[in-house]
Amino acid sequence: MSEETADVVIVGAGAAAAAFAWSLAETRMKIVCLEQGGWMNPSEYPSSQEGWELRGFGDFGLSPNSRGRSEDYPVNDSESPIAISNFNAVGGSTILYAAHFPRLHPSDFRTRSLDGVGEDWPIDYTTLEPYYDENALMMGVAGLAGDPAYPPKELPLPPVPLGRLGETLGRGFNQLGWHWWPSDSAIATVEHRGRAPCINLGPCLTGCAQGAKGSTDVTYWPEAVRRGVELRTHCRVREITMDENDMADGVVYYDADGVERRQKAEIVVVACNGVGTPRLLLNSRSANFPNGVANRSGLVGRNLMFHPYAMVQGVFDEPLDGYKGPMGCCIMSHEFYETDPARDFVRGYSFEITRGMGPVSTAISGISSGNISWGPDHHRTYASQFNRITGMVVICEDLPELENRVSLDSNLTDSNGIPAPKIHYRLSENSERMLEHAVARGKEVLVAAGARETSAQAPLPFAGWHLMGTARMGVDPEQSVVNEWGRSHDVKNLFIIDGSIFVTSGAVNPTNTIQALSLYIADQMKQRLDNLFD
Amino acid sequence: MAIEEAPSELSNEEMQFLAQVLDAIIPPDEDGGSPGAGEVGLGDILQQKSPALVPVLKQGLTALSREMESRQLVDFGALSPNEKCSLLERIGGQHPDFFPGLLFPVYANYYQQPRVLKTLGLEARTPYPLGYDLESGDLDLLDPVRNRPPFYRRC
Repeated sequence: MSEETADVVIVGAGAAAAAFAWSLAETRMKIVCLEQGGWMNPSEYPSSQEGWELRGFGDFGLSPNSRGRSEDYPVNDSESPIAISNFNAVGGSTILYAAHFPRLHPSDFRTRSLDGVGEDWPIDYTTLEPYYDENALMMGVAGLAGDPAYPPKELPLPPVPLGRLGETLGRGFNQLGWHWWPSDSAIATVEHRGRAPCINLGPCLTGCAQGAKGSTDVTYWPEAVRRGVELRTHCRVREITMDENDMADGVVYYDADGVERRQKAEIVVVACNGVGTPRLLLNSRSANFPNGVANRSGLVGRNLMFHPYAMVQGVFDEPLDGYKGPMGCCIMSHEFYETDPARDFVRGYSFEITRGMGPVSTAISGISSGNISWGPDHHRTYASQFNRITGMVVICEDLPELENRVSLDSNLTDSNGIPAPKIHYRLSENSERMLEHAVARGKEVLVAAGARETSAQAPLPFAGWHLMGTARMGVDPEQSVVNEWGRSHDVKNLFIIDGSIFVTSGAVNPTNTIQALSLYIADQMKQRLDNLFD
Repeated sequence: MAIEEAPSELSNEEMQFLAQVLDAIIPPDEDGGSPGAGEVGLGDILQQKSPALVPVLKQGLTALSREMESRQLVDFGALSPNEKCSLLERIGGQHPDFFPGLLFPVYANYYQQPRVLKTLGLEARTPYPLGYDLESGDLDLLDPVRNRPPFYRRC
């Protein structure tokens, strides 16, 4: 079956693709987006259903390997201490993310110059600043101006409520003289662009039934579709195809019925995240690209960065109302973000103060922690924990290393027979020292806030949410996969716009920067339409 | 030879025994008003929600009966809390799916029961559509941070 050639085909419909498609749509080009998942139905999200807490361990769980959804592809992460957590649907992983939405710091773009590690980005904070601002309006970012950890910035919506929990932790930070600030959050705290305001449901990580959380299925995509973008769901792309001039000429994909189809295009844009993108590029082999398309540098899949996470928790005597409010968005601290030569590691980390747990999650976590007894002491021990536990996750900057990488698994395939990705990753000594420092500081602030006991887990094994660096940007074709505006060095009509192109990881959640980058790349393309392939 | 199908339900006698075991895992709390896990009807709930658990329950209850017989004990419900704990831990050595395997489904389902949620001061409902009120909090607490000079690295 022949199909009309599109001007642009975008692979993936997550955070990056949505922003990019919306922006590029004003050119009136024919844009087709292929997404292996479907549209989510918010009325089916767990928070509106019986057994809502348990579904976070089941069909809305973190791992694509255990959720049992046909839209997911398997990932062999058995050789990594950190497992992949992603989601495949219109909106991608923003469906399940916490919507914690900080920007990178200016120093994140200059780690080589400042600290002698990683590489400098070919762009800087000021390049992305207008796109951060544009993204804040589109995603609906809540926050408070005046944060001394950042250059001045304005956010369009009032901050998420502190609640008792945020106040308690804030006092702890104040006692130690450490920085804290209400989290930048992609959460509509008031009605915004047709989205209803947050009503503090709690379990944002299993989808927002209210539609207040800024997942791109409710932010960019409806507007992009209205602008004429064609979004085809349940279409899984197998490979990018090439013509005799080393130009991409389209993609081959399987539709919802498993039928192989082809979409021709003048421009191919890849937005499949830091694991899915190298997987697609490595699966796209041809005579001139025997090691995968856009991979003459040999760097596709290399320099995989997560953010090594720790979780630090405290138990308090007073109730905290922690089961109310956006669970990943309360306050944040960047006290230890920047390099301090007095420490035994370079770069730094941030604290993302989380909220608490519901009644079932409290009970279940009490089994593994041993803090809740069964038998005669059950009710006393349960009461000492329920609504009294809170804490933080630590987000450590990960540095690029060649040996941390995504390859293709030689045996594992998805339901269409496409080779699955395999993760090779080890924690660096720098990350281990950083985690150790962070756990000690986290416990310190919890005790200052009044915690009677603390506990920690580092690294968090299921925390491979942030997937970066596997097709990085740069000006040198030997040292990078795409140029400073996202175009492949090797294939002049192939663009990559997701977290793969990060040069370093920073120490904050990457979605805001992923989207700012994709808006920036879309703008660069619009400005160069007459000579885009030169 | 005909293959015998595993029974899909517990007998009445087994259900009564299971209720006693569940009450040993989460006993009634007379001070706080919390019901026991057996008293709240968790046996029926487990059987309905998790048919795969039925053979595990049968095997565990049978093993527990045998252990009681070997100790010349008759009525599990009449034993002291410590005796009940001792028996369950003993059985757990050979039947870990039964105990402590039972803890997860018991906890997970107990804390969804309206009577239980009420004792915790919670409404028996899903978070959506009503949501929750949450105080915005005192942003004056930020004054020490506001007064701090910018500390990001300029570059």
